[in-house]
Amino acid sequence: MSKRNSVVLLSSDDEDGSINRSNHGYKTKPKSKKSTSSRGLKKPRVSTSETRFSNLHQINLLDEDFNEVFTGSKVSADTQRSSTLEQWVAKYKPCSLEELAVHKKKVEEVKTWFEERLKASKGIYRNNVLVISGQAGVGKSAAIHVIASHLGATVCGWNTPTPVIWQEHLYNSGAGAQYTSKLGEFENFVEKIRKYGIIPTSFTGESKPSVILLIDDLPMTNGKAAFGRLKDCLHLLVYSTQIPTAILFTDYGNTDSADYNARCLEELQLSLESSGACKVAFNPITTNSIKKTLFRICQMEHCDVSADHVDHIAKASGGDIRHAITSLQFFCLKPNQVHSLSLFTDSPGALKDECNKPVRSNNGYYLHYGRDETLSLFHALGKFLHNKRETRSSIKYDQDDFLIQERFSRLPLKMDVPEKILCQSHAQPGLVTGFLHENVLDFLDDEAIDDAWTLSSYLGDADILLANLRGTLPSDNDAGSVLQSAAASVAVRGVLFGNSQPLSSRWHTIRRPQLWHVEKASLYKKNEMLRLKFPACKCLSSYHMSVMATEYMPIYKLLGNRAYGVYNEPHEEVLKNMDMEDVDFDQMSLDEQVRDSDDDIEDW
Amino acid sequence: MLWVDKYRPKTLDQVMVHDLIAQNLKKLVTEQDCPHLLFYGPPGSGKKTLIMALLRQMFGPGAEKVKVENRTWKVDAGSRSIDIELTTLQSANHTEISPSDAGFQDRYVVQEIIKDMAKNRPIDTKGKKGGFKVLVLNDVDKLSREAQHSLRRTMEKYSAYCRLILCCNSSSRVTEAIRSRCLNVRINAPSEEQIVDVLEFIGKKEALQLPSGFAARIAEKSNRNLRRAILSFETCRVQQYPFTNKQAIPPMDWEEYISEIASDIMKEQSPKRLFQVRGKLYELLINCIPPEIILKRLVYELLRKLDDELKHEVCHWASYYEHRMRLGQKAIFHIEAFVAKFMSIYKSFLIATFG
Repeated sequence: MSKRNSVVLLSSDDEDGSINRSNHGYKTKPKSKKSTSSRGLKKPRVSTSETRFSNLHQINLLDEDFNEVFTGSKVSADTQRSSTLEQWVAKYKPCSLEELAVHKKKVEEVKTWFEERLKASKGIYRNNVLVISGQAGVGKSAAIHVIASHLGATVCGWNTPTPVIWQEHLYNSGAGAQYTSKLGEFENFVEKIRKYGIIPTSFTGESKPSVILLIDDLPMTNGKAAFGRLKDCLHLLVYSTQIPTAILFTDYGNTDSADYNARCLEELQLSLESSGACKVAFNPITTNSIKKTLFRICQMEHCDVSADHVDHIAKASGGDIRHAITSLQFFCLKPNQVHSLSLFTDSPGALKDECNKPVRSNNGYYLHYGRDETLSLFHALGKFLHNKRETRSSIKYDQDDFLIQERFSRLPLKMDVPEKILCQSHAQPGLVTGFLHENVLDFLDDEAIDDAWTLSSYLGDADILLANLRGTLPSDNDAGSVLQSAAASVAVRGVLFGNSQPLSSRWHTIRRPQLWHVEKASLYKKNEMLRLKFPACKCLSSYHMSVMATEYMPIYKLLGNRAYGVYNEPHEEVLKNMDMEDVDFDQMSLDEQVRDSDDDIEDW
Repeated sequence: MLWVDKYRPKTLDQVMVHDLIAQNLKKLVTEQDCPHLLFYGPPGSGKKTLIMALLRQMFGPGAEKVKVENRTWKVDAGSRSIDIELTTLQSANHTEISPSDAGFQDRYVVQEIIKDMAKNRPIDTKGKKGGFKVLVLNDVDKLSREAQHSLRRTMEKYSAYCRLILCCNSSSRVTEAIRSRCLNVRINAPSEEQIVDVLEFIGKKEALQLPSGFAARIAEKSNRNLRRAILSFETCRVQQYPFTNKQAIPPMDWEEYISEIASDIMKEQSPKRLFQVRGKLYELLINCIPPEIILKRLVYELLRKLDDELKHEVCHWASYYEHRMRLGQKAIFHIEAFVAKFMSIYKSFLIATFG
């Protein structure tokens, strides 16, 4: 019964909505009835939306449902129908060079590059590949499309085939279908492009139009072998393609590049450049040009959005224009919702208050629009180590505040709360402590040995907090994570507090903690000693490590091989030699290990 | 074979330095079943030697037939099982391990091994005593609290099947509960005269000409550590023979290095110097010199060069940071903090006295 009810409600709503939606609405209606049976499952979502969302929004949901239902049964013509509700990102795609939010110079650069390639007859330019890199949403592909249409060229892209899942393939294998990975297909594509170029199929009558090849998504690679194949294939493309080609790379510059795939992409870029491709890096779009675009959209949509909000959205987007536009769209939906709520609860005055509030408090509240900001580890470390402060205290002390003695008081920080930065950088406390310990002394004044002591004492505190984790089972994670963040906080604040006269900032490289190497090396030595430990005392007993380290090893060094040669019976000598060989072998493997680890770190 | 091993007394009768203790131990073992034993004393005083001789006394020459074995124990710890790898030294009648090598998992090791031993105890062949095995545990003082607790329980539970011989440097870090369950044997560091005696004994056996006073000088340098005395005696022999009276006794390289660090610290007190010192400390740590020993030696070297006025304060901070080092995980943080503190104290002292 309830099911039916909801359906009735829906269809009535649908009718309301259809007024807004002019001619499409009536087509939707019968379909909504057809799909009742499958809709049953989705009832909760729809009925809640009925109370909370505007009609407009709801129809959007309905449409989604339709798509879900009907794309399954091959009615895909309807998918493009919801034109009024189209995403603004698609709707306000830049059509002319002026509308492009990308920096003029960059656009010009890319444009001239293409112009030259397209005008010139074949074979003049050796390098026909342009690599465009940039963060997500800076308008890389938009720029290409706009420029292409400006130049009257067609953009051809690699149509990414639907990947075949392995299980699926196994299921189909009886039918004789061959399995090709995405990478393989890409290789085939590149091969064809290299050999035959793009054969224009539809343009027969006119003169041959100019063509730009756009490679937007490179196939994912897993493991070194696949990566190597992709690299080689792109190499060949760079060397031999005759069509101006743009390869787009999305940077993940801000996040840690520890991610394997991100590192691969970087390597790929480098290798492309080294083989002669041109490179243009798109910077994140400036707040101003995002704002301009947003205002333009607001005008066209007849939305009344205050400058403050646009400013905020633009700032929070972090240079990602796609994100900014979507945020704006979302924001423009919102007033309806707030409005409907305000009918029940708030007076307009209170609403206004509510609206002003986030601007003032300025953190957390506005996250609906913003991306979570991330900082790279080095960025965060730099903030802590450089320790930038206001030049003089602007805070007036209230009477309630107790005054701090002068030696404990510090000028206010020119940054967010350290814990927040830590949080944004997603760094492990142990790592942060290690890096701070390694680098902080560089940032101290030469006279400030007292500061050095304060610092190292705090770092010691952090170490003790971290050490308390030792031996606890991974199951008691909560206590552990609190301890960890406390440790990081102590380390960071200790460093900030301890450095009482921060040097004026100058260039410093941040080293990786040597401690890691030391720990590894001492572990190796220890193993080596353990190996020697038993032969060392053939006399039925073993020595403790410290005895080995402090007394035996120095003596062995002093005595050299004479210790074995002169005093040993022959068979023992042989035994010793074998031991030594073992050790040597291990040393080699350790060297390798160390080298590996070095590599790792350099990539940091 | 090094002289230290070559001239190690094999039986309790041969013991030269702690002969009284050796005699008592002999009586103890021959008369009846022996209790748990706890040997403690400074390094190089002969604990291990006594233990080995004692084992020989108990089980005869068979105790000397040992084999080295790398064993892995699977331990169930709540929801998961841990693999612990340890090197053991085993004969038919005894097992020797250093549980502290297992790091913070030491508590599992102790329990597991004792249980294991209790399971496969030797068959009582002659129908009399001897139906027990001996477990020699090194560095009991390095065991964590938890491990010591679990050791206490297992000691009682399996006391019918096995005897424990514990060995450590300082009994103060062994819990009261364990100490009271053992017969405590304190092994003093040998006096310099005793060391000279031993050195002369070795010299005679090796048919060496010992100039008068030479052995005394080695003994003096050895810091009452017999093992060290013998080792440096042998080094001298390799470096230069026949001995001369002026012959230098080679110091340990790490000790020289630390005294170098100490003079670095005294020369300049600045963050830059602190950074250099850190590099040198790393060097020591790479060579597995235990951080406690580094700190101790460093303080010793610093105190030698220091004004009396400051000694008390420096000692205070040294012990403060030594304590924190034990609480903490990465020793370098704490040693460095001590060095920084010392620099800070010393610098203000210099400014106060010389302006």
